Amino acid sequence: MNTIESVTQTLKSKFGDAVKATETPTGNRLVVDIDGAKVKDVSKEIMSLGARYMVSIGYDNISRDNTLGLIHTYAFDKEQFALMLRMSAPADNPVLDSITPDTPNAGWSEREYQDLLGFKFQGHPKPKKLVTADDWPDGIYPLRKDVPHNLVPPAAEDVAYQLDEAPPGTTTIPIGPFHSSLHEPNHWALYVDGETIKGCDYRGFMTHRGIEKLCQTQLSYNEIPFVAERICGICGSVHACCYAQAVEAATGLVIPKRAEFIRTIMLEIERLHSHLLWLGVAGHLIGFDTVFMQAWRVREQIMWFCEKLTGNRKTYGMIIIGGVRRDITPEIRSELETICKNLEKEITTIHKAVAGDTAIHKRTKGVGYISKEDTIKWSLVGPVARARGVDIDARKDHPYASYGEVKFDVPVVDSCDVWATVLVRILEMYEAIKIIRQCLQKMPEGPILLEVPEALPAFKHMVMMVEAPRGEATHYVITGEENRPERWRVRAPTYPNLQGVPSMLMDNQFADFPIILGSIDPCFSCTDRVAVVDVRTGRKSLVGKRELEELSRKYKK
Amino acid sequence: MDIVYSFINVLVFILCAPLYDGIMRKITARVQSRQGPPVVQPYYDILKLLGKNTVNSADNWSFKLAPVAAFASIIAVVFLVPFAFKQNFASRYADIITVVYLLTLGGVSVLLGALSSKNTFAMIGASREMVTMIMVEPVLAMTLILGAVKFKSLALQSTMYSVTSFGYSASIIAMMVVYLLALQAFVGKQPFDISEAEIEILEGPFIEYSGPNLALFKFYMMMKQMFYAFLFIAVFIPFAETGYYIVDIVIQLAEMLGVFILIALIGSTNPRLRIDQAVKYYAVLIFISICAVGLSVKGF
Repeated sequence: MNTIESVTQTLKSKFGDAVKATETPTGNRLVVDIDGAKVKDVSKEIMSLGARYMVSIGYDNISRDNTLGLIHTYAFDKEQFALMLRMSAPADNPVLDSITPDTPNAGWSEREYQDLLGFKFQGHPKPKKLVTADDWPDGIYPLRKDVPHNLVPPAAEDVAYQLDEAPPGTTTIPIGPFHSSLHEPNHWALYVDGETIKGCDYRGFMTHRGIEKLCQTQLSYNEIPFVAERICGICGSVHACCYAQAVEAATGLVIPKRAEFIRTIMLEIERLHSHLLWLGVAGHLIGFDTVFMQAWRVREQIMWFCEKLTGNRKTYGMIIIGGVRRDITPEIRSELETICKNLEKEITTIHKAVAGDTAIHKRTKGVGYISKEDTIKWSLVGPVARARGVDIDARKDHPYASYGEVKFDVPVVDSCDVWATVLVRILEMYEAIKIIRQCLQKMPEGPILLEVPEALPAFKHMVMMVEAPRGEATHYVITGEENRPERWRVRAPTYPNLQGVPSMLMDNQFADFPIILGSIDPCFSCTDRVAVVDVRTGRKSLVGKRELEELSRKYKK
Repeated sequence: MDIVYSFINVLVFILCAPLYDGIMRKITARVQSRQGPPVVQPYYDILKLLGKNTVNSADNWSFKLAPVAAFASIIAVVFLVPFAFKQNFASRYADIITVVYLLTLGGVSVLLGALSSKNTFAMIGASREMVTMIMVEPVLAMTLILGAVKFKSLALQSTMYSVTSFGYSASIIAMMVVYLLALQAFVGKQPFDISEAEIEILEGPFIEYSGPNLALFKFYMMMKQMFYAFLFIAVFIPFAETGYYIVDIVIQLAEMLGVFILIALIGSTNPRLRIDQAVKYYAVLIFISICAVGLSVKGF
């Protein structure tokens, strides 16, 4: 059993001077400062202790000590704490060892900072462009402070992403950038032999909206939750909540109990409608539109309820730093109870119908197989991992909001295929209803919003995990001086899960591609959030500061 | 004079095929708790498509020829079948092999169009369509051959309505079951709409088609559906022959409606199968249908 102390000890004794300093900002977070030269070994050691790699965060520290900072974060799920491994590299020669050979899921994070900050990672197996547009000029690193947030470099012609070489004897099927099984723009090249998939390459990040850079340079702390919600069209509250909690934890704010319960209810409502949405989409992907229509019909009552509660079917604008914006009145409460009752009945019907349908079994059982060991190796999260027998759930492992005070089970299935993800998600809906009911009962009276002090302490680091319907969302915040974060890093659950998809696709049938990709419930917009300006759509599509203020004023009335 | 019946055949099929399609869409919608489009929607669709410009995206003659050939072949089939128990001018000169050939020609035209469009998804669709044709055509052939064996003749009228003369036998019952099991594959509906699978290969063979060409293909598909529905009621439930031509037409159309309701219900309650799963399924069907013909040779 690892504890924060034991891990600190192990690292100190093994690596001596390479571990420069350690601190524990809160009881369940450990920050370890190390010498960048030793990152590969230290990371390997942390992984061998049973940690799960989450995400890396790069940040610009040039103005202070002429370095670029990099933080790898790891979760110790059973031991309920997280480790932040912090290092730096000189800005004029930012070269570090890649940890991707040992921790495959770090691949994207490292490529991202290659594009955005100009890092170089030695030994990276696939150091291709990931985030910036194909015609983005070399040598401009958008996340560095000296690059303005609204820079629009001239568009270049005749530049295209070079796909990986197809394995011999295969043909390439292009899926995307627009394809009916994707729902969002991104490009897959599938290398198929007959109808059997023998490999693939992925080019995503086609709708970068520069949210992180925008928020770090233009918006203030309490405006960011509204932008955070717009990262994802389905699990908006998750991102707002995760960001707000990270800021609160970093600066030591304690929000009222009632607000915690309302946040929990919002998150579970989101899980319910997201899983119903997914079930519908999954039905559509295997050509079973009746499941699609029925699941969405059932989902609709949640959407109506949310409109009543928040004014919107989606993108609720409920969660801000310090609490929530709207209270649950007795009237709303009784309506929610009725909806829970209806939903439970309807979901039971759907559950029975789906579980008993042998034709659905035919299309999902044994499809998209990935072993439990590979799931752990690839650091997959959420229902995708739980369908492979990996028992992780941020709600249980790193309790937040009021999840510590309600009883619920985490369904885990171990058939390692698409069918297991269907089952896990259906079972999770029952748990969500259970949680909402308990919250409504246990919710204490009291204020729902904390008066947030004018100035929050600067340069505090905090990583926060929230279990989104698709898996664990991770937000990293470094607080800043100008009433806005110095650095805010969003990692949605699709980010790690998408990296595991090539292993799931291998040797499956081409016809199963939609449902295998669909089984991770991909949300490409969630992964696309980072870079600066999309040269094609332009930055005008962003919600500016003034518009945001106007909007929030309008809705306050 | 009996060539008039042929023209009436064509007229009835052209007028009714979109209606049946509309009814199927309505039923599917109701199963899915939807309102659904009006039953006449397929007529609107066809008319709208016919009013568009022709885009020859593949830039070769076979691409343009394919929809016409497909539509012509299904019209030819309808022209010579003895619809409403009425022997017509053409059915006297044609036999069951003509029917099988003409139906195959329709399928081949779809392949031709798909392959000449040079689209990756169309290629996949074409290869799936080809597999489906190879595996399903024998069932169709056996259905017709069964009657031929009984009559010891390939003539269309007698083989098609063999049940009216010989009644039900074990082989006929077995063949009826096989036909019902293959029905969704004949009409290209779920779970066997594999070659069009819009979610992965985006309507497969038809991806490059638009406007009037697509309208022809759509019409071809609807007529084909109607023909297979007709074949089922003609071969397996040829009752209620009143002798009055108009009444017979109405009765057969009503019976076909039943078949279409069945197709819609099966289609809306099944996911699409993969081609490898479907092939195994078809193989079983072929085996049973050959057995049925074997039985009929032995006199059962």
